[in-house]
Amino acid sequence: MTPPATTARASAGFEHEALFYRDDESFLAGLVPFVREGLSRGEDVVVAEPPGRLELLRDALGPDSAAVRWLDMAALGRNPARIIGAWSEALEAATAAGTGLRGVGEPAWPGRHDAEFVECRLHELLLGTAFDDGPAWRLLCPYDQTHLPRAVRTGALQSHPVLSTPGHRRPSTAYSRDAAAATFAAPLQQPTEGVLRGSFGVDDVRATRRTVASFGRSCGLSDGQVEALELAASELVVNSVRHGGGSGTLALWDTDEAAVVEFSDGGHIEDPLVGRRRPPAHRADGGHGIYLVNQLCDLVQLRSSPHGTAVRITTWR
Amino acid sequence: MRAHGSVVELPEAGPADHLCWVHDDDAAFDLAVRAFLAGGLARGERLLCVGERAIATLAGAAPDLGDVGALVTRGALETMTVEEAYAAAGPLVADRQRAFYDAATRRALADGYQGLRVVADLSELAADPAQHEQLLRWEHAADELMASGGGMSAMCAHRSDLPPALLGDVLSVHPLGRAAGSPTPYRLFFDDGRLVLSGSVDTFTAGRLAAQLATGPSRPHTVLDLSTLEFLDVAGCRTLAGWASDLLSRGVPVEIRGASTLVQRMWRILGFDGLAPVSFSAPRSTPRG
Repeated sequence: MTPPATTARASAGFEHEALFYRDDESFLAGLVPFVREGLSRGEDVVVAEPPGRLELLRDALGPDSAAVRWLDMAALGRNPARIIGAWSEALEAATAAGTGLRGVGEPAWPGRHDAEFVECRLHELLLGTAFDDGPAWRLLCPYDQTHLPRAVRTGALQSHPVLSTPGHRRPSTAYSRDAAAATFAAPLQQPTEGVLRGSFGVDDVRATRRTVASFGRSCGLSDGQVEALELAASELVVNSVRHGGGSGTLALWDTDEAAVVEFSDGGHIEDPLVGRRRPPAHRADGGHGIYLVNQLCDLVQLRSSPHGTAVRITTWR
Repeated sequence: MRAHGSVVELPEAGPADHLCWVHDDDAAFDLAVRAFLAGGLARGERLLCVGERAIATLAGAAPDLGDVGALVTRGALETMTVEEAYAAAGPLVADRQRAFYDAATRRALADGYQGLRVVADLSELAADPAQHEQLLRWEHAADELMASGGGMSAMCAHRSDLPPALLGDVLSVHPLGRAAGSPTPYRLFFDDGRLVLSGSVDTFTAGRLAAQLATGPSRPHTVLDLSTLEFLDVAGCRTLAGWASDLLSRGVPVEIRGASTLVQRMWRILGFDGLAPVSFSAPRSTPRG
C-alpha cells in the first residue's frame, strides 16, 4: 500500500491540503492511509463526503471505519457556508478532549451548480482565515480531477496551501493568503436573467418579507422553502436597515433551476466569516441572523466591501 | 380557542370576551359601549361601568338597555367612578385588581347573574407613563381571569389619539381589538389554561413581547400555544427562549405547543435547546369552539 502522505509535513498549525484523485483507486490510496494514520495517533477523525464517496471510503476502511465520525457532505455542504461551523465544532471538541483532529472534506463534488462551485472556492479560502491562527489540525480535501470542470480544479490550487497526490505533497505556488479577503470583497457575477428590483427602508421590513414569500410561491417553491425564505428575508432586511445604512435594495429573479433573491445595502461587513460559526446562544447582540440564514437556505453568497454588501440566496426548485 | 384578532365591528357577546376598543370620538365610544353592555344584558350578566366617561354613556343608553334607572335599582347595573374604583380596589396593582374583579364576578354569580360584564375607559391610565406598566400587567392578568371561565368579560376603551406604540402595547394583550391601522401585529392572551401567542413577532415587537411575558402570572406548569402564530424571527425566538429559560431556572416546566417545523428548527439551530430545553408538543387535535 502507498505510504501515508506525510512527507513535507509542516510542523504546526492548520494544514489544509487538496488531494487530487483520478479514480476510486487513487481516491482510496490518498485517503485510507491519511485516515488510518489519524486513528493510530488517537486523533478525532471526521470525514465529510457526499454519498457514494462516503460508502466507498467506509467500506475500504473495514472495521476501522467505526472509529471515524462520518458526515454527509451533500447535506452539510449543500450551502458551503455551513461547513466551517462544523469543523469549528469538531475542533473545539477535539481540543477540549485533548486529542488532535484530522478531517476529510469534499465540498466540490462533480455535478454541482456553477454558483455552488464559486462558494466552495470561497469556503476553501476562508478555512485559512478561520483556522490559521488556531490549534494544529489537518484537513484533506479530495478533488476529482477527472470529472470536475477545469476552473474548479484551478480554484483548488489557489485555495489550498498544500497539494497532494497519493504519496506526494508539495506547497501550492498558486496559493495566496490574501485571496480570501479579495474574493469576499469582489462583487458577485450579475445575473443574465431579467431582474425585478425594489428598495426598502425601515418601515418596509414586513412588506419586503411578504414580497419575497409571494415571489417564492410564484416560482413554485414548496411551503417549507417559502417559509424559510421569508424568515431569511426578514433577517437580512433587518440587517440592512439596522447596520447597512438604513435602507437596501431587493432583487428577484428566477432561473430554470432556482428562485434567487438578493439583498444589498451600503454597509460593510469586515469579518468574512460572519454567519459561518454559531454565535453563543445566550448572546443577545445579534449575529444569529446570518448564521440562521446559512443553515436554512440552499445556497447563500455573501460579499462585502467598502462599496457595500450583497447577500444572494438561491433556492433550488 | 377564544376568538382573537382584529375586529371592525363589535362581535356578538360571548363568555370571556376581552376586547380592546380604540375609538375615534365620543359618538363611536357611546355606540360601542352601549352595544357591548346590551350583549351582556341579553346574556343575563351583571353590568359594571368604570370611569366617568363610561358612566356618562348610560344617559343615552335607553334604546339599547331599556330603563337604566331600573337596572341600577335591581343591581343589574353598577357604576364606579375612578375615585370609587380606587377606593374599592386600591391603586392599580395587578394582584389587587384581580382579587377585586374576581370577587365582583363571584358576587354576580351568587346573585343569580350569568357573569360580570365590565366596561372601562382606560385612556387616562394608559396615557400616564407612571401607570403604564401596571396597566399592562393588569390587562394580562385580567385576561387570564377572563379566560379561566369564571364569568368575567370586559371592554377596555382607549382614545385613538394616544401614541401608537402605547396603543400597540395595550392591544397586544387583548385577544380581540378594534383599532385603525395595525398598532400590533401579534396578540398574547390566555385560553383554557395556556398562554397563546398569535400573529407575527419580529425584531420590532420582540421587546414589547419580552416585557409582557415577564409580567405573566406564575403557574406550576406553563404551556405556550403557537399554533396560530404566523411568523417569528430570530429576535422573537430569542425572546421566547429567554422567557422559557427564566421559567425553567425557577423550576417551572415549559411546554411549547403547536410550534411550526421552522420554529422548532430555528430553536435547535440557534442552540436555544441547550439554553431553554422546553418540550415541544403537537397542537391540540380537537379545536374548541
